[in-house]
Amino acid sequence: MKLLSFLISFAKYSLSFIFVLGLWEVYARYGGLNELFLPRPSKIGDKLYNLFFKFQIIEQGTIYWHFFATLAQMSIGFCYGIVIGNSLAVLAAFNETFRRYIAPYAVVFNVTPGIAVLPLIIAWFGFGWESKIALATLVCFFPPFINTLTGLLKKNDEAIELFQTIGATQSQYFWKQQLPNALPEIFAGLKLAITTALLGTIVAQFGSATEGVGILMQRFAFRLDMAGSFASLVTMAIMGLLVFTIAELLDRRIVFWRDTKGLERVSKKKQRKLSTDG
Amino acid sequence: MSYSTTDQTKHISIFRTLPVHLLIFACLIILWEMTNLYGFEDQIQADMIAPRPTNIVLAMLDIFIIDQTVWKHLISTFKKALLGASIGTAIGMGLAISATLSVTFRKYIKPWIILMEATPRIAVGPIFVALLGFGLWAAVALAALVAFFGPFVNTFQGLMEIDEEAEEMFRSLGASKFQTFWKLRFASAMELISAGWKLATASAFGGALVAEFIQASEGMGVLISQYVIMITMDYAFAALLSVTLFGFILFKIMDYVDYRLIFWKNDLLLLRESEKRRKKAGIVQ
Amino acid sequence: MAATAKKKPKQSPSGQTVIEGNSVTKVFGETVTALEGADFNIRSGEFISLVGPSGCGKSTLLRLVAGLIEKTSGDLTVNDEEVTKPRTDIGMMFQKAVLLDWRTAIENVLLPSEIQHRITQDDKQKAMASLDLVGLKGFEFHFPKQLSGGMQQRVALARLIQTGANIMLMDEPFGALDEFTRERLNVELMRIVGELKATTLFVTHNIQEAIYLADRVLVMTPRPGRIAKIIDVNFERPRDISIQTSREFNIIVEEVRDTLGSH
Ligand SMILES: Nc1ncnc2c1ncn2[C@@H]1O[C@H](COP(=O)(O)OP(=O)(O)O)[C@@H](O)[C@H]1O
Ligand SMILES: [Mg+2]
Repeated sequence: MKLLSFLISFAKYSLSFIFVLGLWEVYARYGGLNELFLPRPSKIGDKLYNLFFKFQIIEQGTIYWHFFATLAQMSIGFCYGIVIGNSLAVLAAFNETFRRYIAPYAVVFNVTPGIAVLPLIIAWFGFGWESKIALATLVCFFPPFINTLTGLLKKNDEAIELFQTIGATQSQYFWKQQLPNALPEIFAGLKLAITTALLGTIVAQFGSATEGVGILMQRFAFRLDMAGSFASLVTMAIMGLLVFTIAELLDRRIVFWRDTKGLERVSKKKQRKLSTDG
Repeated sequence: MSYSTTDQTKHISIFRTLPVHLLIFACLIILWEMTNLYGFEDQIQADMIAPRPTNIVLAMLDIFIIDQTVWKHLISTFKKALLGASIGTAIGMGLAISATLSVTFRKYIKPWIILMEATPRIAVGPIFVALLGFGLWAAVALAALVAFFGPFVNTFQGLMEIDEEAEEMFRSLGASKFQTFWKLRFASAMELISAGWKLATASAFGGALVAEFIQASEGMGVLISQYVIMITMDYAFAALLSVTLFGFILFKIMDYVDYRLIFWKNDLLLLRESEKRRKKAGIVQ
Repeated sequence: MAATAKKKPKQSPSGQTVIEGNSVTKVFGETVTALEGADFNIRSGEFISLVGPSGCGKSTLLRLVAGLIEKTSGDLTVNDEEVTKPRTDIGMMFQKAVLLDWRTAIENVLLPSEIQHRITQDDKQKAMASLDLVGLKGFEFHFPKQLSGGMQQRVALARLIQTGANIMLMDEPFGALDEFTRERLNVELMRIVGELKATTLFVTHNIQEAIYLADRVLVMTPRPGRIAKIIDVNFERPRDISIQTSREFNIIVEEVRDTLGSH
């Protein structure tokens, strides 16, 4: 039943895409579409086929290499970003002086699009992976910082009183109440961070790079190879969807109490565990 | 025993916090200056990584007052970003309104929206620059493309989050769909919608700058790149700082507009507005 | 007026039938029978309380009468017309005041007029009068956020009066308020409804409140929702709050309890 409804909605979505692509193709073939601007889908498809299945080499590697390089740069940047963002958030949550006097700098600087620092980053870190990682880190640390802080500071007077009456220590309160209570916000921050990290990586690749989907896009576009550009765009969309789906799945797994389905799943699991233990 | 962390930050008067803020700021600046002077082996490297705050201030003076180079670029970038944000907002809100009003439309655009959300939209930059040239429009288009999503999501969410009872009340009064939409839904969604505008503006700046980095004739992206290439980092920092400064002012203005627009969330404004409307109705108490 | 009405307990009111239901049934989806075979007959100017545990279909009955939802089967007429959609001679009030936060009290009260036509000076006058009637003179230009819960419900009542409807449907209107406020509002509601000679259907899950206010009490029982009994309440009006401790009153309370308990 669930599978069936999933298949139906999947088919509907695909049909909607196919319909639009079909119109586009027909218009390009018989109408006046200027293919210098917008290449027809079949040409993009052909390009994608060449890239993905004929292992055409562009710049210094196949598309798989560029794909991997981008994901790797993004992941490293993302990791640095969330470590920095969350550490700052915990610091700010526990230290009022820090929260009052230092944290505002993060907020003020967040006004500058982190991307504006790109030329400086390249000057400092060079044309290699470091600059991509640095920009990804820089643009993605803020969402985890602000979200985690908000989550940890959620007003919770009654829970505090409860924990006090049962004689819990500060660290017990943190691990058993404050942190789980903040998880929805924390994960929302992570989801934002992972997409901005990808963005930062790609933009840094525009600046200069020898590998990565960003540089593919840049090169194709500058050669006015529109089919190639759109093929890179499709590749990035795939990458985006992949990253997005992973983030979404993790979020649902860990913050299971957000919806009833998740609650049922975990409740069943715990029940099973209890019965096997007993 | 108390768990200090969950206590909300206590409100302290600005007259007590401001001196501390200034002190900390001064310390940071001095520390930075010292780092530049004594923290590096050679001066070139020092100026490259941490240009001296005094030099940055001088550079600011130069680009704003003496040489006045920055204005042209600043205006160009702001023009692109604001145009892009406006266009993006119009598109995003238009889509969101259509999606709330028509179930069919909602169904059809859903897959496209998911795709749009997942794709790093800024990556279209090189295509736009290649097609639209180095001038205004490539940057505006990219800014609009990255900006439309925030207003779309916020407007949609705001319009869909309806208070069932309020809606029923409107129905029982015989309100038309149109009346319910404007008098109830849109007004209730206003808070989220206005937050969407801010999101749009922030991302539009990113879009405009990236387009300028890729290739442009003018704009802050160009200026920053030029200063970096000439290895005048103090100027690059000054340019960066002006983006921050003016961006900050712009956001403060938007915050203020938001604060006035959603006046019913603030007790003080509520009080004033209530007096104003009483006077307007010609009723004195 | 009270003096002449004394010693003449209200027999079943002589007014015309305004709302009539014959085996009205509402099934949600395929299986949830919210209301089954409801027969009732409400006369002009009557005050009817609907009492019963939650989930017994009180709100459903009210929404059916209001034309907000469609019945599954049976006949339901208001002023001899089949109910198909919301009508202007019916006004509603809910547990929440559902006021628009960005409008002052008077602007909220003017909403019904605004939805029908452009607001005239007359409407404004009327809104002032409605607010006065519910005891909010001087609060016309306050925003909902500046009013207490009880006052917000008063604004909602004024808005209901503003519709000019002479049939008032109230779904636990004071259910979210504290006991004291609720009692006061009940007394005032009786006064206002009496002044306007409105026909009222009042939903509550509080038995005392139901009896105290009503000319007749419809007792409803759940699964499936049915009208189990219709009980006449013949205390003279105006009623004093102290009748709630009288023996006659408690006999009726017992009767309602029995009806609810036997299901
Ligand atoms: N829109 C609806 N869809 C499905 N079931 C509903 C709906 N509204 C009410 N019900 C069901 O109908 C029954 C009666 O509900 P309701 O009239 O709200 O009860 P009451 O107001 O007496 O508490 C309940 O079991 C409720 O779950
Ligand atoms: Mg109910």
